[in-house]
Amino acid sequence: MKPLAGSTDAGLYVHVPFCLTRCGYCDFNAYAGLSHLGPAYADALRQEADLYAQDWAGVRVVSIYLGGGTPTTLSPEAIGDLVAALRERFDVAAHAEVTCEANPDTVDRPYLERLRAVGITRLSIGVQSFDPAVLASLERIHSADSARRAFADARAAGFDDVNLDFIYGAGGETPASWRQTLDEAADLGPDHLSCYALTIEPGTPLGHRVATGRIPFPDPDLQADLYDAACERLATAGYGHYEVSNWARAGHECLHNLGYWDGRPYLGLGAGAHSFRDGRRWWNVRLPQRYLDQVAAGSLPVEGQEHPDEEESGLERLLLSVRLARGIPDSWVPADVAEAYVAGGLARRQEGRFALTDRGMLLANDLVLALEARDC
Amino acid sequence: MTDPSRIRNFAIISHIDHGKSTLADRFLDLTHAVPERQMREQYLDRMDLERERGITIKAQAVRLRYEQDGTEYVLNLIDTPGHVDFTYEVSRALAACEGAILLVDAAQGIEAQTLANHHLAEQAGLTIVPAVNKIDLPQADVPEAVRELAELTDQEEESILRVSAKTGEGVPDLLAALIERVPPPTGDADGPPRALIFDSAYDAYRGVVAYVRVVDGELPPRGRIRMMATRLESESEEVGVFAPDPFPLQALGVGEVGYVVTGVKDVRQAKVGDTITLAARSATEPLPGYREPKPMVWSGLYPVDGDDFAPLRDALDKLRLSDAALVYEPESSRALGFGFRCGFLGLLHMDIVRERLEREFDLSLIATAPNVAFRVVSDGEVREVHNPSEMLAPGTYDRVEEPYVVATIVTPSEHLGAVLDLCQARRGSLEEMRYLAPERVEVRYLLPLAEIIFDFFDQLKSRTRGYASLDYEHWGHQPSELVRVDILLHGEPVDAFSSVVHREKAAAYGRRMVDRLRELIPRQLFDVAIQAAIGSRIVARETVRAKRKDVLAKCYGGDVTRKRKLLEKQKSGKKRMRRVGKVDVPQEAFIAALRVDRGPGP
Repeated sequence: MKPLAGSTDAGLYVHVPFCLTRCGYCDFNAYAGLSHLGPAYADALRQEADLYAQDWAGVRVVSIYLGGGTPTTLSPEAIGDLVAALRERFDVAAHAEVTCEANPDTVDRPYLERLRAVGITRLSIGVQSFDPAVLASLERIHSADSARRAFADARAAGFDDVNLDFIYGAGGETPASWRQTLDEAADLGPDHLSCYALTIEPGTPLGHRVATGRIPFPDPDLQADLYDAACERLATAGYGHYEVSNWARAGHECLHNLGYWDGRPYLGLGAGAHSFRDGRRWWNVRLPQRYLDQVAAGSLPVEGQEHPDEEESGLERLLLSVRLARGIPDSWVPADVAEAYVAGGLARRQEGRFALTDRGMLLANDLVLALEARDC
Repeated sequence: MTDPSRIRNFAIISHIDHGKSTLADRFLDLTHAVPERQMREQYLDRMDLERERGITIKAQAVRLRYEQDGTEYVLNLIDTPGHVDFTYEVSRALAACEGAILLVDAAQGIEAQTLANHHLAEQAGLTIVPAVNKIDLPQADVPEAVRELAELTDQEEESILRVSAKTGEGVPDLLAALIERVPPPTGDADGPPRALIFDSAYDAYRGVVAYVRVVDGELPPRGRIRMMATRLESESEEVGVFAPDPFPLQALGVGEVGYVVTGVKDVRQAKVGDTITLAARSATEPLPGYREPKPMVWSGLYPVDGDDFAPLRDALDKLRLSDAALVYEPESSRALGFGFRCGFLGLLHMDIVRERLEREFDLSLIATAPNVAFRVVSDGEVREVHNPSEMLAPGTYDRVEEPYVVATIVTPSEHLGAVLDLCQARRGSLEEMRYLAPERVEVRYLLPLAEIIFDFFDQLKSRTRGYASLDYEHWGHQPSELVRVDILLHGEPVDAFSSVVHREKAAAYGRRMVDRLRELIPRQLFDVAIQAAIGSRIVARETVRAKRKDVLAKCYGGDVTRKRKLLEKQKSGKKRMRRVGKVDVPQEAFIAALRVDRGPGP
């Protein structure tokens, strides 16, 4: 049973910036060909944790999330040591949710069994699609088969809290192929699914191909169709749609990610990781080598920080919380806006809350802007 | 004062780019009017705006001293505006002259403006000194240009001058011919003074400076002057000539051309065409030909930022001090807020005013599509309508009249068919057709002004591979089958998009606007119908489908700052939107939809 999170309970995020290859769509802070830095990097993470330990003493940590990059480029033992080190330095709850992201090609059953043994409670597998054509256009190195095998291995290793990540609307995707991916996902029966519309990020190879007109910008209406298909299929399969891009069986919502949307504090360790506490946000240097150097010199590897003012904080609170199916307090929404949204089938009001429907979630930005326009 | 017998007052008239300004430069050289090191090209085109546009907006007059056969002559060169918007100003400048050099490019031959200006000069009774320019060009066909000019002016080919304003070749002969052929001015030196205002300018320090030609009597340097048409009196402060810089004199006498610092502060009080006399010794009859400036084209000007309404009003108030033809009245639009309906002499005048407002007063403006002034006649009563939204519903009036022009077009005969097609498509009626040469034709068409103010000239050029030329003059009003086309967004009419067009073209106009708006209106949370309607009849319809996706797919711990900034940007974009009923319309959509159509198609 996961702990219940209070508003001052924190999450720990650990960034592992290594990948076997870079995917064309990805704008995360990740690097191919640097895996040899792994052991030194794991040491640096422990040292960085040391630097924060005193300051964060007394803050209850309810979740740990190892993201990337590809954390499973590290050995299970290295990951285990890291988690243990974090438990030594921070006030981590006994039943904390401890997630590790995994690339299907970097894990097998023995690996996953060891990962389970060292205290990882939740596994998030980057499947992206079961359609080979879509996987190819996303430049994923794994095959649909290896994704299926990874899921089976995770179950066999005893993971009872498994997420599968999907991307829809990539090149080669058709409504039919996406429905097939959804069918297969539902048949596998993970505990949690994240389905993301392909986003074109500037500065990525994919972004460049779109900017230069070599491939078209994803059609938003097609993406909306695919989203509708996901909502429908996953509801039928018994998953609750609790955030714009996230579905889970009851009790399997990602506690760590809920922390972001709920505005709870989080401490990010590792290259490029972001942290948030008491209205202040800061972020680390992005380059792994610079991160290693700064930590080795005994200083915080912080690159920048900000204190969002009242208006900015308000906008952040709004843009994060409207994403959730539980919605926002009714009192945040002027009556005419609320009525228009409800009449348009974009929102529902119940028990003092105003919550976007499936259709409304896909237009969450519009609600944010409508509410912001009223504030000025 | 100069003995009138030694004065020659003249203008140079030509088609655009036939070398008028370069010839004026050569005259300045030959008469040593400007020290060599200060000389620059197109010296007389003073305003920055004019120089950039390469045309002359304001007439200028320059006094040149030139000695010939032991006699020193005073040659007053009066420059004329080169655009049809300023035809009245041209006619007044010509009225100040006794002669005109009719200049034709040897490589181009006679063009439409050559014909129109020659016509104006003949009407003014001027002695025409025809000259072929650019004889140094390899592609010049001097004999043909000479032949055409001789025929047009009804003169012998031997009397046509041949010059190169660029190299100076033949220019002294041209000056000699000017002195010989153009008669000196005559007038009653002892009578009450009468001076024709052929242009005026506003000087920030000295107020209104009138450019004048003295016809009778003498204007003293200071004194109480009277403007005979406006019946306004003021104390003049100075008289003088431009040589070419201002040079004060003790008096301006018969036949002299110069300036008067009038002592008034608004160009409306010293209008082009008016007659200046002295209050103490007033003439009884003004000089003929005075006319009130008449705006032909109207457009609504709105500040992009609603807070700029007062600054826009102040800017217009300032601008009118130097622009007698600019008129404006406040109006409000449901779509655009508070602004002004402004009247202009034509599209060029409109562009100049807009540019000056934006440049000199740092304003950002939205202009509605320009329209001509219509006359709505009911029960014998005539009402002038400047704004399409004031146009009444059909059946509530007897008839509508619209302004017409007579257009002169010169085209190579191989493109005649295309020109006739264009004019027919623009509701024209052929008045006259005449071959200037076997391969060049002049056609005269009666055309609705509304049909030519937008893209007619561009169309004409593109259909004749750039060879045709155009000039026109206002003709009068004529009844027409005009209807108002309204554009509705989600059922709400958008007044700024209404237009009055001919019944036969109404559906096509509606279709074009609807198609254009469909591209410009961003998707909303609901389907937005865009309709064009004549009265209650819908003639075109498109739908902007409801937006379905506007969300950030991923938003986790490292994304918050970036996503917040993205939304802040969208938020400021939304602030610049205008709301029409339930529909948010970006400022840019208004600007793009109202942009004057320069695209293909008649």
